[in-house]
Amino acid sequence: MRRVVIRMLLGVAVLGALPAAARAMTASAFQSPIVVQDTANGCLACHAAQREAATVGVHSQHGVTCVSCHGGNADVRTLPDGHQGNFIGSPSKVQTAQLCGSCHSNPNRMRQYGLPTGQLEEFRTSRHGQLLFGEHDTNAPTCTDCHGTHIIYPPYDARSRVYPTNIPGTCAHCHSDEKLMAKYHLRTDQLDQFRASAHGVALFQKQNFAAPTCISCHGAHSALPPTGTQVASVCGQCHALVGQSFAQGPHGAASKAGKLRGCLACHTNHSTAGVPIEKIGETCDKCHASDTRLHQMGIDLQRSVVQASEDMASAKRAVEVLSLAGQRVGYYQFRYQEALTYYLQIAQAQHGLDLAKVDDLGRRVRSVSVDLNNAANTSREQRWEHKLLLLPLWFLSLSAVVLAWLALRALRRRDAEHRDG
Amino acid sequence: MLGRGWRATTAWGKRFWDDLKASTDASLLAILRFVGLLYGRIDTRLPIDQAFRKSLRHRLSRHAGWRHAFGGITYLLFMVLVVTGVLLSFYYRPSAEEAYQSIQNIVSGVTLGWLMRDVHVWAANLIVLAALAHMARVFFGAAYKPPRETNWLVGLLLLFVIFAFGATGYLLPWDQWAYWTVTEGLSILGRVPLAGGALVEILRGDPLVSGATLSRFFALHVIVLPWVALVLLVLHFTLVRKHGVAPPASAASEDVGPDDESGVPFFPHHFLRSLIVGVLVLTLVVTAAALYPRDVAAPANPAQAPASMLSTWIAADVSRALIYYLGAWGFGGFLLLGAVMVLVPLFDRAPERRLSKRPIMTTLGVVFFLGFAVAWAAGWQLRSVPVSASGELTPFQQPLTPPGPALPRLAPPSSPAVPPAGTPRPGGAR
Repeated sequence: MRRVVIRMLLGVAVLGALPAAARAMTASAFQSPIVVQDTANGCLACHAAQREAATVGVHSQHGVTCVSCHGGNADVRTLPDGHQGNFIGSPSKVQTAQLCGSCHSNPNRMRQYGLPTGQLEEFRTSRHGQLLFGEHDTNAPTCTDCHGTHIIYPPYDARSRVYPTNIPGTCAHCHSDEKLMAKYHLRTDQLDQFRASAHGVALFQKQNFAAPTCISCHGAHSALPPTGTQVASVCGQCHALVGQSFAQGPHGAASKAGKLRGCLACHTNHSTAGVPIEKIGETCDKCHASDTRLHQMGIDLQRSVVQASEDMASAKRAVEVLSLAGQRVGYYQFRYQEALTYYLQIAQAQHGLDLAKVDDLGRRVRSVSVDLNNAANTSREQRWEHKLLLLPLWFLSLSAVVLAWLALRALRRRDAEHRDG
Repeated sequence: MLGRGWRATTAWGKRFWDDLKASTDASLLAILRFVGLLYGRIDTRLPIDQAFRKSLRHRLSRHAGWRHAFGGITYLLFMVLVVTGVLLSFYYRPSAEEAYQSIQNIVSGVTLGWLMRDVHVWAANLIVLAALAHMARVFFGAAYKPPRETNWLVGLLLLFVIFAFGATGYLLPWDQWAYWTVTEGLSILGRVPLAGGALVEILRGDPLVSGATLSRFFALHVIVLPWVALVLLVLHFTLVRKHGVAPPASAASEDVGPDDESGVPFFPHHFLRSLIVGVLVLTLVVTAAALYPRDVAAPANPAQAPASMLSTWIAADVSRALIYYLGAWGFGGFLLLGAVMVLVPLFDRAPERRLSKRPIMTTLGVVFFLGFAVAWAAGWQLRSVPVSASGELTPFQQPLTPPGPALPRLAPPSSPAVPPAGTPRPGGAR
């Protein structure tokens, strides 16, 4: 009897504990792991604020503890003993970079994680590194300013400051600080410009992680603005076909010779402003006087591109007309895609200033556009021909109505005569 | 053998000729008689010919005039819808995968398919007008008063059936306008207190308008509603025949009932009038179909509301105008006004038929019928305004937020507008 009671009590206890256990499991699945105090680590006896770092972050998982960076003795719990030996306290910014490098520059240690080892050397070449190591400017950031101090997350962790969507904010932490940047004569509106740019829209609004962030053009550890002759190569990393075409054209040669700031001669950097097709000629004005042959070339280019653009719009309208008329538009949409392919190739040829190719592609666009418009006109004519049906219809119905009306009148007259006499 | 056959044929011909000469209405009736001779043997058992003649001889009240044609027009349009609907159903495929393509085939592939479809569309619009005109004639003529109040209710049910036909038929093309008009319609219906939500669940059959909805709407449109309409029509016509045409509003005359021997026979007098009206109505429908065909929008896309919508159904135009100008309460109020029409014969039972002596009824009728006409005209003007112009998101467009604390927005709150996805420009130019 007593055994039964005990079993029942046990059952109730287990059942009662279930929701709590479930909650705990759910919580651990979605939140940071519950901090379990590392009782072997004497530092945490006093440094309660850093206890989380002992279990959270990539370093804690791979055996990097307090003493790995700060020195001292973690096996004791009393203060004078703990801060003895090679204890360095809070490392300076230069010390920090060297401390990180002591592991991260060592291929034998990094191989197992598949991590590169050149970060410290890259950092020395960056403007940040030059300031920190060369001029001992402590405003310059060190590793921990971007990667975090005690809890370090890998870049693919959304909590990391170097996660793709967090990078612009991390850079802007200093670079939008007007007081700080004034010392270096730097602008502070890059983040706002980036947000409004095609790149920023792709990254923030479309969550497209293939979109470039600050580090894609400036470099991460080796952060420096690209020089005028480098710009075309930087943009060409992604805009490969346009970049290739540009490099082969006369502007590409001028850019290599340092006479032109690459892509920035016509576009802007952080805001990625383009040249509206109807202002191509105007843009040429910046460098080529308006009575020169090269300026005329710009005008011709503009005319070709604008014409192709209008042909594309006309082709699109034609497909819409066909679709609204209930035609099967699969083939016409295929032709439209064909025109679109040519049209996008114009963008490429245009950057190499290959006017002959632009014209050729423009003719192909026009050819497809004419085909589609012919099909649309045929459809319009067919619809118009439907109205011809109305001629016999009206004739027949009018005749019927007139005849019936006459018969009705005759009937009434007869009825009236019948009533009278 | 041959001789008997010849004699029978000549006798047949003689009777036909005699009829042709004897009948006062020879030219038309003889043709019908000719048909009657073909089933002469059957006729001795089933006196169809006799019944037909009785119908033709039926006398209508002397004051039955052109204004009484609207009911007949409504019925004619109903039959047009039946015929074109059956023809369309030969080619239409009621599934989300095939519906759109089958409409394209009907419009651009099938011989005179465009005519079938556009006549169906236009008849579906005009039948609403015809039914309302018929209703207005009955209302202002006080023809709903005893003993005809039952038929008034049957007529209102038929009007409801017409609207149900339109609402279910609207989805069938399965293009963007169809899809989103029905989506909006169902979300409005879903806000009706108490029953709305459950009704929408049943009608939609899915959390979104989908193939399940299409199947349901198709079944309602071609199976359920036609039978309901048939039963109601038989009842409606039987009652009309039983009670006869109501006396004119001007005279406070006695209700003479159906057996008025002083009336005008249906054939040929009213037959000729019906012929004129019918031919004109058919001409109007075909003309409208040829001049103003209904376009085919892009295929239905549940993930993308269209930038602009074209409503091609009167009820949608009227609803849009009411909501746009008067708001949800105006729309609800107008629906309530329509519902009040059901009760009219319950409290307006006095024998008085003159409009000037029925000020409340006259006001009610003017507000309802004129309001409908004005709202339709206004909705016609609004027809190209996007549905989402109000800025209110449809349920599907609302972002799916998980329960619990809101996640921080990664994108800046005042993000710049994304450039419209139009023709891309070359040169990477943005």
